[in-house]
Amino acid sequence: MSNKNSTCDEKKFDRFFKSHAKLLRNYIYYKFGDLEQAEDIVQDAFIKLWNNCSKVSLDKAKSYVYTIATNLGISITRHQKVKFKYQDYVIRHKTDINNESPEFIALEKEYMQKLKNAIADLPERQREVFLLSRIDKKTYKEIAELSNVSVKAIEKLMHKALLTLRKKIGNI
Amino acid sequence: MLDDKKDDIFLSRWINGELSKEELSEFQSHPEYEHYVKIMAGADALDLKSYDVEKELYAIKSKRSLKKSGPVINLWPYFAAAASIAIILGLFFFGPNESFSTDYGQKLIVALPDGSEMTLNAKSIASFDKSNWDNNRTITLEGEAFFKVKKGSKFTVTTKNGEVSVLGTQFNVNSHHSLFEVNCFEGKVSVVNNKKKEILTAGNAYRNLGKTYEKWTFNESTPSWLTNTSSFRSIPIRYVLKELEDQYNIKIVEKGLNLGYKYTGTFPNDNIEVALQTVFSTLGIEYSLSQDGKTVVLEK
Repeated sequence: MSNKNSTCDEKKFDRFFKSHAKLLRNYIYYKFGDLEQAEDIVQDAFIKLWNNCSKVSLDKAKSYVYTIATNLGISITRHQKVKFKYQDYVIRHKTDINNESPEFIALEKEYMQKLKNAIADLPERQREVFLLSRIDKKTYKEIAELSNVSVKAIEKLMHKALLTLRKKIGNI
Repeated sequence: MLDDKKDDIFLSRWINGELSKEELSEFQSHPEYEHYVKIMAGADALDLKSYDVEKELYAIKSKRSLKKSGPVINLWPYFAAAASIAIILGLFFFGPNESFSTDYGQKLIVALPDGSEMTLNAKSIASFDKSNWDNNRTITLEGEAFFKVKKGSKFTVTTKNGEVSVLGTQFNVNSHHSLFEVNCFEGKVSVVNNKKKEILTAGNAYRNLGKTYEKWTFNESTPSWLTNTSSFRSIPIRYVLKELEDQYNIKIVEKGLNLGYKYTGTFPNDNIEVALQTVFSTLGIEYSLSQDGKTVVLEK
């Protein structure tokens, strides 16, 4: 049953892993809120892919690992409310930050904390879309393909996410 | 503009630079504008902790080989003997038979030698004689499968409950324990079951369960499980529980439930939470899923 598209081919499996694992980790983290756990889930999903490689062709592999990983996330978090751990991500160091006055940096720090809190409090789908767009720089079309919905639905979620964030942050 | 119900993607368009000149300048003079600019600037400064792809791949490979190495080491002294037995058994009993099986929650598409197609649903086994396929298009099935048959000689699916044969068509066979159900989606099929013969045309379904025989019509053009939905039409609840177990690799423990109770409805095959809720809430049954996600206990 071996064919060209088999994920049993070690080289193909490796290449597939390298091109998809990171985004899958991020996606699972945005959904379930725990980065370390997301990395474990990604490992388990890809091990499952390997064990079933004869049944999952390369073109089906992406949706396979996303489904497995999402289901694993659901089964792990089933009994607890998802608490998004925002300390799992970092603020990129901007080169121009040293030019700012100390007060301004302090305000920024406070603002960023508020923003991270507000993102953590977003409904799951809004957070997922917002962060895939901002952190992973995915287009609406790419995000829509990941979650099997229309581009329009993603645009609505993005719009809503911004409105929600704006409300949460208030005037600072 | 922002709270305008008609434009519920305004901010998405703004981020993507899709606003018209007028829209943009109107937005820029709005007092809210600077707040949104700040949110976007803040969000774009966020990043995730780095991900070491090589290290993760290495971790997966070591976990993978851990699983494999166990039995190989234990069996090594018997390996040569075991291998020769397997070959002999293979020659005598299996012949050139080709066999396919699916595990919990899996689907498998099999291209048959003549270009016909078989899709196996979860927990099903099918086999056929590859070398003699041209003369004898016969498949032995245990479980559920959907067939798209190329025109040609007689095509037969044998199950322990009955036989379905056709010339060229699309049909679904479900044979689990004593349930035998056939849905014809295209063309014409003949069903032989307990020496009774039925001809089904497109859009017609047939079911034999114990002593009852039923026929009905339907409108779907493919079985719903191909698109990850299990659907049931007035069927004893035990078959619904069985399908949940097969799709999700779980064990359902029930105490004193009336398993003959008839159920009509659907559940998704890719979301266990929704699936359990859909089935059990409509039946008014409380349930709980164990921590490891392997067991569902039904409360009365």
